[in-house]
Amino acid sequence: MSYRNFKLLRLLVVIILGVLVAWSSAMGNAWIPIPAVLVAVTILLLFRRRVKEITVDERTFSIAYKASRVAFVVFGVGAVALGTTLLALGKSGQPEFRLIGFTLCYAICALALVYSIAFSYYNRKFGGKA
Amino acid sequence: MPRINNRIRRLRFDHSEMTQEELAARAGCTRQTIIALEQGKYVPSVELAFRIARTFGVKLEEVFQYEE
Repeated sequence: MSYRNFKLLRLLVVIILGVLVAWSSAMGNAWIPIPAVLVAVTILLLFRRRVKEITVDERTFSIAYKASRVAFVVFGVGAVALGTTLLALGKSGQPEFRLIGFTLCYAICALALVYSIAFSYYNRKFGGKA
Repeated sequence: MPRINNRIRRLRFDHSEMTQEELAARAGCTRQTIIALEQGKYVPSVELAFRIARTFGVKLEEVFQYEE
């Protein structure tokens, strides 16, 4: 199967999945989305194996790495700034902002923790000191 | 600033006008990576550099040149 045909198939599956999930949400049906997503992912994985062309290589990973770093820094700085601002506003008479502020701050803490663990793991894997 | 040049495009034409797609398939990378290499926008890993050189049947230095 060519990569072009796979992309068309992927688009079709995503559209059908989107329609199914949107419809089930509108109907208040919580039983359709998860199986639908599982079936869609399974179909895409099965057909992806039939694509013989190389579609991802070291350059792709290099780009993804750089993009991830930018996203991490932008989200991190933005979330800290916004979260602390909302916490301050929440103390001065707008309590609903406290919930959003705490969510943002805890989210960035969790992200930093995951990053630290992953960094430590890969540092050791690639010959760094423990 | 150090710069790595390459002669990939020249070598492709010298090898029976090999297409970018053929070179990508034989070197184990995407055609977009070959395009980026020929345009000087991407520096390959040592492994990919060796695979490209091996595809052309030449030494690494004949494909990539390091300029300071």
